[in-house]
Amino acid sequence: MGRPSHSSSSSIDSSSHPNYSVCSSSSASSKRDLSTDLRLGLSISSSNSSRDHEQPDWPPIKRSLRNTLAEKGSNNNGNRPTFYVKVYLEGIPIGRKLDLFAHHGYVKLIRTLSHMFLTTIIYPGVDRVHSDHEDYHVLTYEDKEGDWMMVGDVPWNMFLTTVKRLKITRSNQC
Amino acid sequence: MANSFPEEVLEHVFSFVKTDRDRNTISLVCKSWYALERWCRRKIFIGNCYAVSPRVLIRRFPEVRSVSMKGKPHFADFNLVPPGWGGYVYPWILAMSEAYPWLEELRLKRMVVSDESLELISKSFKNFRVLVLSSCDGFTTDGLAAIAANCRNLRELDLRECDIEDRRGNWLCHFPESCTSLVSLNFACLDGEVSFSALERLVSRCTNLRTLRLNHAVPLDKLPSLLARAPQLIDVGTGVFSADFRPDIYSKLAGAFGSCRGLKSMSGLWEVAPAYVPAIYSICTGLTSLNLSYASIQSAELIKLVSQCRNLQRLWVLDYIEDRGLEAISESCKDLQELRVFPSEPFDVDQNVPLTEQGLVSVSEGCPKLESVLYFCRQMSNAALITVARNRPNMTRFRLCIIEPRTPDYLTFQPLDEGFGAVVEHCKDLRRLSLSGLLTDRVFEYIGAHAKKLEMLSVAFAGDSDLGLHHVLSGCKSLRKLEIRDCPFGDKALLANAGKLETMRSLWMSSCSVSFGACKLLGQKMRRLNVEVIDESGTPDSRRDDLPVERLYAYRTVAGPRFDSPDFVWMIDDDSSAFRQLA
Repeated sequence: MGRPSHSSSSSIDSSSHPNYSVCSSSSASSKRDLSTDLRLGLSISSSNSSRDHEQPDWPPIKRSLRNTLAEKGSNNNGNRPTFYVKVYLEGIPIGRKLDLFAHHGYVKLIRTLSHMFLTTIIYPGVDRVHSDHEDYHVLTYEDKEGDWMMVGDVPWNMFLTTVKRLKITRSNQC
Repeated sequence: MANSFPEEVLEHVFSFVKTDRDRNTISLVCKSWYALERWCRRKIFIGNCYAVSPRVLIRRFPEVRSVSMKGKPHFADFNLVPPGWGGYVYPWILAMSEAYPWLEELRLKRMVVSDESLELISKSFKNFRVLVLSSCDGFTTDGLAAIAANCRNLRELDLRECDIEDRRGNWLCHFPESCTSLVSLNFACLDGEVSFSALERLVSRCTNLRTLRLNHAVPLDKLPSLLARAPQLIDVGTGVFSADFRPDIYSKLAGAFGSCRGLKSMSGLWEVAPAYVPAIYSICTGLTSLNLSYASIQSAELIKLVSQCRNLQRLWVLDYIEDRGLEAISESCKDLQELRVFPSEPFDVDQNVPLTEQGLVSVSEGCPKLESVLYFCRQMSNAALITVARNRPNMTRFRLCIIEPRTPDYLTFQPLDEGFGAVVEHCKDLRRLSLSGLLTDRVFEYIGAHAKKLEMLSVAFAGDSDLGLHHVLSGCKSLRKLEIRDCPFGDKALLANAGKLETMRSLWMSSCSVSFGACKLLGQKMRRLNVEVIDESGTPDSRRDDLPVERLYAYRTVAGPRFDSPDFVWMIDDDSSAFRQLA
């Protein structure tokens, strides 16, 4: 799974995408967007351009934990449990694989998929204040029974026990 | 009055005085106390191996049994000190092998320990019992084999965070069959496999074993048989804690943990598989210390585990714990004294973990004994810091790392000066502080004014001018160690407070605005200070005095300049304007 560079993903987050971070009320959500924008502005002005790759001396974490975390981040760790499911984008016959255990909640999952398919995805729990976007998608999954459900309708851990595969569909068809 | 007691009586009285500081004070009372005290001092702590020489140590204290010593600067932990800087223990071992044949204990931190040193230790000290190496490097499993083979009375072999070259897995086989004295064995930092049958036999015959910390390479299905052989353990570090789920392994594991009734401390748990976690539920209530910093399990499972550890005093955990996990801890762990939360994805700027300032606030509210915090997070506010400071005036160690440098208060976009200011104002006994986030000189004004007991301060990406450094050096009365990186602090504050540096153990400044000329001046002015410029980009001849140096490391010493510095360490000589560069 290729991860986009931080600078480009940041610009996607703050401009063309709604921010999925945490909030559910619209006022809090817009505040969060503002803070993200400001923070980005600051980090650019403070000449911190080297964050695209790991800095060997920041953040201050001791060697052994740092190495373990770096390994985990690059998915080199053969023993770590993985849970791959296929993801399809509607209209494209070829699916892509995704490790759900490498994600720790819906926010991260949606973020990854947005980057992977370069599209805007919404899911329940995030307000639709940004619904003026023409081409946003919703994420659905096939559960054990073979039913297609909206992603986000059950807690993350329950979702992990039942999901078989994912499909990203156009919102106006769902 | 000092002379009215027979020496034997005084010596007996002195033997009850344990702390280094009190022993030092005793030796200042009068000449006869000084003379008596130096003969009966058994334990020595040396905070910087270049602050004194082996010769001076041995001349002053002829009967030492236990030595604790530190080498490299603390920032070496985070790769700020170039490899090859120094901190070699060999000259010390060589001198002590002659002078202290009855040496029993060595505790070394951030030192370069060669196999030669370990061999010399194993052969020189007949009654050697304790070897603790923390964050040391330069040795291999061959050196460990020598320790195992030759130290017949070894009680502790504790390798913490060491960088050890793994030559062979059978170093454990070198413990003779007659070795039954081990109380503590920690090889968690070793990479390679160890001989499991040798380990099993060793654990079986060392019936006083209390601490056993395995490394990553010990598989989960081997753990039950080890635990079964040592039900008396109080501190266990597991190996990798995952395997394909098999009910027979699970039940053996649960049974083995169930029989270790005295367990108080648990660590390891690499790659923990959630299905196996319930196997340790039976020991949770007994645990006072739990290190989950290698356990990548999700919030829900963490909460279930930690909520059962009602007597926990120390918890290390990844940010998978999330705010809701810390809230659960604040409700169930009322004895918690130390909390460390590490980032699961420290290099991913976009990472959006539901761990914020709120988790810290919850714990500060619910855990009245909390006094030591290391907290990595991505957002913070002044309001939260003020709440934490008010909730926990008993805090003695407070280290906050907001991962993106210079991050302001995310609510008000203000610097975090007021928040950290509240911490130093309310926590009167604060001894250690690490700053992060957007900070101006104002925060250093607060620190200088309030942090009177502060002993160690770490600063990164903060401040606006010399004034910041000046506030700290002129205000913090108890400061012993100051480490600074990437701050606009320079010559003026440094030279104006040069006298302060002789009262401190050390000062580290990297990527700051200190000029080469100022370093030279400092070295000349302060005779009891070693001033090292650590600079890999040129030579001292070619360096202009007005240009900043990469790194400055200054420390007080009674030993004079060191003679083992590499090319990139320029020792500023104190009796001439010249520098000295010694190979």
